[in-house]
Amino acid sequence: MKLGILLTTSPENENTHTAIELAKAARAMGHEVSVFLMEDGVYNVRDKNFAALSEAGVKIALCALNTEDRGVEKVDCALFGSQYDHASIAHDSDRFISFG
Amino acid sequence: MKKIAVLIRRPPLNTILNAEALRVSVGMTLRDDRVSVIFIGDGVWSASANLDPAKIGRRDSKKEFDVLKMLKCRLIADRASFESRGAGEPVPGVELVARSEVIRTLNESDIVIPF
Amino acid sequence: MQNHAECGDTMAVAEIDLKGEVCPYTFVKTKLKLEELEIGDELVALYDHAPAVENVPRSLRNEGHKILGIKEIGDHLWQVRIQKV
Repeated sequence: MKLGILLTTSPENENTHTAIELAKAARAMGHEVSVFLMEDGVYNVRDKNFAALSEAGVKIALCALNTEDRGVEKVDCALFGSQYDHASIAHDSDRFISFG
Repeated sequence: MKKIAVLIRRPPLNTILNAEALRVSVGMTLRDDRVSVIFIGDGVWSASANLDPAKIGRRDSKKEFDVLKMLKCRLIADRASFESRGAGEPVPGVELVARSEVIRTLNESDIVIPF
Repeated sequence: MQNHAECGDTMAVAEIDLKGEVCPYTFVKTKLKLEELEIGDELVALYDHAPAVENVPRSLRNEGHKILGIKEIGDHLWQVRIQKV
C-alpha cells in the first residue's frame, strides 16, 4: 500500500511524533510512505528524528516556497519540491492522511 | 481520477492558512484530480465578498478563486454558517449549500484535507 | 508565435513570461500554455522564482514533455525551453 502524509505543523506539535511513528510502523509493514511538508511543517527537516525517516525509506518532499519564506536551508533528506509533488503524492497514494 | 476536498474552517485574518489552503487547492488539480473547496464555520469568511484583507495589508485570494473557477473546481460554502455570521454575499463562483450537501461532498471524497 | 525558420517545417515557438509568479502558478500557467500548442511545438518560458527553475522542468518531464534547455539569462532570471510531447 502507498501511504501519503501531509504535515503542516512545526516539530513542537505532537503531530510530528505521530507522523514519525505512523510512517515508521507503515515502513515496518512494508508499505511505501511519502510525506509532504508545508507551512511550519517544513521546519521538520531540521528535526533529527524526523529527518531519520529518510534512512528508513520514507520519501520526504516539501514546499520550496514555504522554505524560502522561512529561511529553511536545503537538506539532503528531502526533495525541495512544489505543489505538483504534493498533488502527485495525493494522486498516487492509497491512503492520504493530513496532520495540521 | 480522485475526488479531493479541501476544507476551510478557520477565520481568515489571523492565519495565512486559509490563503494557503486555496493555493493547495489549485495545486491539487495538477494531477487532474477533481477538487472541491468547502467553506464551513468561521472559514466562510474566506468565501465572503465583503472580506478585504488588503485593508490590513494582507494578501487576498482573488487569483486563487479565479484559477479555481477557470479549472471548474467546485466551490461550496455551508449556508447555515454563512447566514448565521451575516457574511453578506459569497465571492462569485461560490455556491451556498445545505449542510447535508457539505456532508455528502465530504463523504464521497477520496481525500479530505482540512485546514 | 513564430515558425522556426531553420526547421523548415510547421514546428512553432511560443513564449510565456512568468516573471513574478510562484508555485503552483509557474507550473499551472506553463501547463495551460502547452495545452494550446501542437505536439512538437516549443515553448520558451521565463521564470524569476528559483525553485520553479528546478521544479517546473522536473514536473514537465514527469508529464512526458521534453526539456530542451535551461539557461540563466539575467540576475534571478531563467529561460526554459520546453518541447510539447
